[in-house]
Amino acid sequence: MLLNREQSGKRWHLRPDGPPKVTGELKYLTDLTLPDMLYGKVLRSVYPHARLLSIDISEAEAMEGVYAVLTARDVPGLNRFGIATPDQPVFCEDTVRYIGDAIAAVAADSPERALLALEAIRVQYEELEPLDSTDAALASGAPELHPHGPGNVLHRTEIKRGDPEQAFANCAHVVTETYYTPRQMHAYMETEGGLFVPDETGRLNVYAATQHGYKDRMQLARIIGCPEENIRVVSSPIGGSFGGKDELNVQPYGALLALKCGRPVKMHNSRKESVRAGLKRHPMKIEMQTGISREGMLQAHRVRITADTGAYATLGAPVLNFCTEHCMGPYVIPHVDVEGVSVYTNNGLSGEFRGFGGNQAIFAMEGQMDRLAQMIDMDPWEFRRRNLRQKQDPGPLNQQILPTEGLSQVWEAVDRSELWQKHVHPQPESTRPPWIKRGVGAAIAMHGAGLGYGIPDPAGGRLSLNAEGKIEAAFSYEEFGQGLVATLEIMLCDLFQCHTSDLSIVIGDTDRVPHSGSSTASRSTTMAWMALQRLQHVFRNKLLTTASQISGIPAERLITGPAGIWTTTDSSSPVSSRLVTAYKELVRQGEAEDWIFDTTFHYPTTPDHVVGGHYLYTYAAVVAEVEVNRLTGETKVLDTRHIVAAGPVMNPMGYIGQIEGGSVMALGFTLIEDAVMQQSRYLTSNLDTYLIPTIKDIHSRLEVEAIEELPEGDPFGPRGIGEIGSVALAPAITAAIHQAVGVWINRLPVPREELMMGLDMLLPEGVKPS
Amino acid sequence: MKPPVHQEWSAVVNGETRHLYTAPGTRLVDLLRDQLQLTGTKVSCEVGRCGACMVLLNGEPVNACLAMAYQCEGSEITTIEGVRGESEGELHPIQRAFVEEGGFQCGYCTPGMIISTKALLDEYASPSQEQIETGLCGNLCRCTGYGGIIRAVKRASEHYSSGKTESPVVKAASGTDASEV
Repeated sequence: MLLNREQSGKRWHLRPDGPPKVTGELKYLTDLTLPDMLYGKVLRSVYPHARLLSIDISEAEAMEGVYAVLTARDVPGLNRFGIATPDQPVFCEDTVRYIGDAIAAVAADSPERALLALEAIRVQYEELEPLDSTDAALASGAPELHPHGPGNVLHRTEIKRGDPEQAFANCAHVVTETYYTPRQMHAYMETEGGLFVPDETGRLNVYAATQHGYKDRMQLARIIGCPEENIRVVSSPIGGSFGGKDELNVQPYGALLALKCGRPVKMHNSRKESVRAGLKRHPMKIEMQTGISREGMLQAHRVRITADTGAYATLGAPVLNFCTEHCMGPYVIPHVDVEGVSVYTNNGLSGEFRGFGGNQAIFAMEGQMDRLAQMIDMDPWEFRRRNLRQKQDPGPLNQQILPTEGLSQVWEAVDRSELWQKHVHPQPESTRPPWIKRGVGAAIAMHGAGLGYGIPDPAGGRLSLNAEGKIEAAFSYEEFGQGLVATLEIMLCDLFQCHTSDLSIVIGDTDRVPHSGSSTASRSTTMAWMALQRLQHVFRNKLLTTASQISGIPAERLITGPAGIWTTTDSSSPVSSRLVTAYKELVRQGEAEDWIFDTTFHYPTTPDHVVGGHYLYTYAAVVAEVEVNRLTGETKVLDTRHIVAAGPVMNPMGYIGQIEGGSVMALGFTLIEDAVMQQSRYLTSNLDTYLIPTIKDIHSRLEVEAIEELPEGDPFGPRGIGEIGSVALAPAITAAIHQAVGVWINRLPVPREELMMGLDMLLPEGVKPS
Repeated sequence: MKPPVHQEWSAVVNGETRHLYTAPGTRLVDLLRDQLQLTGTKVSCEVGRCGACMVLLNGEPVNACLAMAYQCEGSEITTIEGVRGESEGELHPIQRAFVEEGGFQCGYCTPGMIISTKALLDEYASPSQEQIETGLCGNLCRCTGYGGIIRAVKRASEHYSSGKTESPVVKAASGTDASEV
């Protein structure tokens, strides 16, 4: 189904957070203030790599209006954080490893004084040569950035199947190419920050963005050295994240300063500081050698992935796992030899980012497919069809995955699309100037959801009738813009046929929500749906039996509806539908606890012992038409069609928004974005030099087609679509560029100079530029 | 540390004359957010690129991170809090269009985006695609990919061009005074 407002009918649901957002009334956590609050600032390293010889805070401490100056000595608990591998120091002790490393933090009564205090801290360094590339970090004799070694390797992956060497020898054609992808920045509009408030009972209230409040609470408790219950984390609403706020950022500093001062402390990173200290997408070098038989069947695939994970682990290892899993695409390849390595360098921090390593892998693999198809002069889509995995085939890691028709459905949707037909039958270019060339390309992808086998991925949720008589759903998910709250409203109204005014949705507050896992890995929609499926029966049963006791009407003849419990309009019954009892009345029956229902379960995983392997996948294909200006090297994307197979569309507005937004973010990844570093320092420190797409740069023709079919009785329901819109656009664009101008692109963002040509070479013979 | 020299400052903000003391070099964005608690004006890049802090200064869209208090002395400033529907509690047609078309996600760019849209539609009631792109290219949005925003602007322009909207911004009301001084 082509997804738009017109097609969506009644499911076009207006977001409950819409009015406060469009009027500016909504207080983001960085908008919060308290009368007696202090301002926190962090002193960050001057060098990307250095030994810390001494830190003198005496002058800063003595300054008027300065209430605290903290260094590593002031961390009561663990001086480290990191979701998976806690190896990032809150404050560096003896070494700095990147330009964002924290050395000290201050709290003062104005932001200006806090900055002056930072200037008054004297730090003596011994500057060290930065390891500014993975090559430098892997070179023999390179200094080890972390003591746990060996070398500067964070993580390695390996997949070996069959006999690749022999298979390559028997291949009719082999393509060898090396792909490079950029250090993309999340560029969420709201930079990191929040308010940290100790209360009179000794508890700490943290109002700061995260994708996983409970994980923040656990890490902060570890840093402070206190029980987790002593901390409350309030973490929504969030001004964008895309994976970039999943790790702790300002929280350790705000928390420690607030506790030290016994006063509220506000933190809010400037954009420059956000760029300097924040996560980026892993830049990767992916070497691929892929061989096919004379008939065009994939035989052998050799891949070497090198990921620049920067100074600390963050989620570098899981990102590499994901990239490794996805670098074989949705294809059947009998002989496989994949090795990945994630390398510590002094280049900033790389971590989680929408697509999670899939973007890099899919760009490379789809690039191979187009090159191979050309070698045997076969239509690239037909070439893909021959090699696609079938419904019952194992997943990329040879693991059992849930069989769906999604892959063949997205393939077919492309095949019959008008846009793809332009590739098959290119239009004459005669009407355009000779330096403007058009082409069409397409790419296909399968993308895993959830954290994968062997990784704790707990889920759950709570449904209750609260004291106000509202149906309350509580989850530990976060609203960072994706429309989660609207999706929950739709699901609840579907289940209980009630009105949105009957609902209370509680998220993003560890004091008020059960532990239902994080808002990552396209998992929230599926997990919320599954939780509500589990809870709806017991909850409804309680509502109806209680209503029955009050009214004397048999529970079988009662249903939930707007404002309360109604009688059914069974035609055999003389009683017409009417409100029997209001939710407000019901909650007065019995104790409050009687009305609370919890569930916990685990994200569905493959039964096979393949660490990181996924069980649920979504499928997508993208067709893109581009126009390349050979004089300037500029590529303009004219038209795109995204086809997504992710099960039933819960929230059409949210779905379109996620695919459109993901697509334009991928446009940036493909054509313009790169946080360039030189000697491990950012050359692009703000949004005036790090360019993200503006309204002028986008493909304003963008169609979204949703394939909603799932196998009958599928117990997992709608799949998340937060990432799938961002993973397959890059190879579609580069394929289109190839059709337009015959140049194979292997590096993102697309280097314009590779597409430029002199005017004399573009003009027809005999015509001279005047 | 020398305290900054604060001077009397006044302007008409969202239709109300506001008097307060501030340093002349205070950025308008800080004055609005910190002194007037108008936090709908967002702070993001602070170099005039992203448009999150866009306000109307005498009807023209400006980045409040680049405007200094002294430059705004005596002028008429409209922030997102001053954009509203004709009756109390009602959304302005532009705001309504953003809600109806999904022209926002995280919402952090939205106030600035709506201010720029207002400036655009005040000038061109039914703007061309090119005019929309020019009018909004100073506002970055990372969530929506701009699709929903473009649809919202077009929907809002239908209201404008059909003449349903007149003077949606509250004009300076006489006789109001603020007590900040």
